[in-house]
Amino acid sequence: MALKLYDKLKHSIRFWLLRKLPTCQETVEKISQSMERSLSLRERINLKLHLWICAWCQWYMEHLHIIRETARAKADEPPDFMSGAGLSNEARERIRRNLTNQN
Amino acid sequence: MNAPQGKFPDESRDPGRWLDDHGDYLFKYAVFRLRDNTAAEDAVQETFLAALKAYKEFQGRASERTWLVGILKHKIVDHFRRVMREAPLGEESDEGPEHREFFERPEPWQGHWNNNYAPNEWHATPAELIERNDFWKVYNDCLSPLPQRTASAFTLREVDGLKSEEICEILSIKVNNLWVMLHRARLHLRNCLELNWFRREQ
Repeated sequence: MALKLYDKLKHSIRFWLLRKLPTCQETVEKISQSMERSLSLRERINLKLHLWICAWCQWYMEHLHIIRETARAKADEPPDFMSGAGLSNEARERIRRNLTNQN
Repeated sequence: MNAPQGKFPDESRDPGRWLDDHGDYLFKYAVFRLRDNTAAEDAVQETFLAALKAYKEFQGRASERTWLVGILKHKIVDHFRRVMREAPLGEESDEGPEHREFFERPEPWQGHWNNNYAPNEWHATPAELIERNDFWKVYNDCLSPLPQRTASAFTLREVDGLKSEEICEILSIKVNNLWVMLHRARLHLRNCLELNWFRREQ
């Protein structure tokens, strides 16, 4: 019984917060900015509270960090996403000719 | 020409061998950032030409590849600078799609995630993604619809980790534009990766 009441209370608080806090649309923009600058105290509190009640925005933030970490790992090791994964023969020969002329 | 001092004999100044040893790597490095084959080929060629001229200064202080990549980085930034100076930032839409459809319109949930676009759990770690070439194909396709300046801002920030001021100078934009661009690029890319990679992988 007490547990049920507690759940109800928790649910009400969350619902109330969700209505009071900045929306998800505003929050995802703040999440992006938090990766660029330090947020003000008010912004940080709003973000923390929003993330506490919103799993979607929690995942959103986690995903942005996964993307950042993954992209940065490729800075010195560029991916092979193109067919052939290198210079085309045509480009290679053109560059070779131009280099020989200059040398 | 005299052999440079140090461990490298003069034959290392052989552009044909540079091309064989480093051409593919430099091209991949450039095309990952420029996202344009022709521009990447040009950047590689300019790198080798500059390397020929600057060879005296090299003297084997760094590895040959590190030295060439250092030159290539400048060529890539020069390319961005040149293209962006010729195309000043105009309309707000130049910053990329807003994706308002991702969020609810009508009250009471206006501005909250629309069910169809709300993020889902990703069952992958960066370590796993890094090795998957098919992931990078999707990543590249997802960046394609973005305006060039927005995609470039994203790459300079997230791949190269440049500071805001450096990116703003290279792309001729203000820091507020940069933040909007990065936000829109992330919003778009995250959704596109989820649809085209993460949901299909499961």
